Amino acid sequence: MYKNKKSGAIGIVVTVIILILLVVLSNINIEKLTVVENVFSTIVMPFQNGFTMLKNKISGNDTFFTDLDNLKTENEELKQKNSELEQSLRELEIIKAENATLKEQMNLKEKYGEYQTVSGYVINRDISNYTGMVVINVGSNDGVKPNMTVIADKGLVGNVVSVTENTAKVQTIVDPASSVSCIINTSKDAFITKGSINSGREIKATYIPTDAVLVQDTSVETSGLGGIYPKGIHVGTIKEVVNTQNPTDKYAIIETAVDFSKLDTVLVILN
Amino acid sequence: MKKTVSFLIIFLVFLIIYFLQVNFFTWFNIAGVKPNLFVVLILVVGLFAGKNVGTSTGIVVGLLLDIFISKKIGITAITLGIIGFIGALLDKNFSKDSKLTIVLMVILTTIIFEVLNYFINAVIFSYSLEIATFVVKLLIEIVFNILITIIFYPLIQKSGFALEERFKETRILTRYF
Repeated sequence: MYKNKKSGAIGIVVTVIILILLVVLSNINIEKLTVVENVFSTIVMPFQNGFTMLKNKISGNDTFFTDLDNLKTENEELKQKNSELEQSLRELEIIKAENATLKEQMNLKEKYGEYQTVSGYVINRDISNYTGMVVINVGSNDGVKPNMTVIADKGLVGNVVSVTENTAKVQTIVDPASSVSCIINTSKDAFITKGSINSGREIKATYIPTDAVLVQDTSVETSGLGGIYPKGIHVGTIKEVVNTQNPTDKYAIIETAVDFSKLDTVLVILN
Repeated sequence: MKKTVSFLIIFLVFLIIYFLQVNFFTWFNIAGVKPNLFVVLILVVGLFAGKNVGTSTGIVVGLLLDIFISKKIGITAITLGIIGFIGALLDKNFSKDSKLTIVLMVILTTIIFEVLNYFINAVIFSYSLEIATFVVKLLIEIVFNILITIIFYPLIQKSGFALEERFKETRILTRYF
């Protein structure tokens, strides 16, 4: 009962820092290294400017700094203009986001015009790390029933497993319990894809015919067999082919067309 | 009356955890892996409020989760109910006053919950087991749960002893032994 409160607080702060570092480091992209580049340039820039100014003075090119009053007025005016532009940029960004959502819905409707569909949004994601379920905001009131196919702008999402009046639970194709009968776009070789607990967009193609020729980056679509998914919906592309000693065990990794971590707008095929 | 308030507070904490799990942790994760704070919540309830409250809270919370997001109703309810029961069993054998024992209990219950859940799901939905991937993900999840337990340990301890006062008639002051 005589614990040092200060050391306890320090422990908590250290743990929070470790947690944040772990999250940041595990999710970092190479693209984000531009942040490092920015920090570096912020440090180097004053020196670089100083050297340039010195060089200009030596070469007699220092006329920019003679009329300081004019520069200050100009600077104020530019600042004013800049804040106005920033304001309009923010407004434009809001309009742009709205436009993107509407466009996505329009694209979806046009692309899958042959089907009778109803559009919805993802309102809930799975709490578990080992399954891939999402909840959407359309239900039996909108004509949604179990086993209906769900698609997004880029391709297949999954199928409806249960419905309430206003929501539906969708089992995505990355869920380990999900199986989809697929064919290769070009050669028409058929196989079964299965979901995985591996995070991200990867599914596994199994039961591949021994004579099938699988080429990387080939498009894969639904075969129409199995009774749930209609034929010809884009599933993804072949990312890697793994050959085993036994040719019947050969499998391939397929990268799904849909990025499930960013999934937002979906269409449920009603017919 | 005090017990009803306690149940309401547990429900409120459940809602907060639920929204954290479905929103916040979808981007604040370690290599795509989220923590499982429901296990920590039910462990704390079982540990401090006893066998009956722990198990029943686990079942109710599990049922709600099953209704909200799962494919089959009952799996999470059973496994979280077991966690509540195990929490009460651990209370009989270990001290709750040490941060280390609480952390060890979190590790144990996270393993039990996820292994049970994974294997029951694999049997019911007949999918092939991916043991290596599962172990890696589970280890990351355990680390995440440990860090969160350490951060919220003072809060866990305070609310835990408050629960114990309300639900256990013969309170044993284990922390003074």
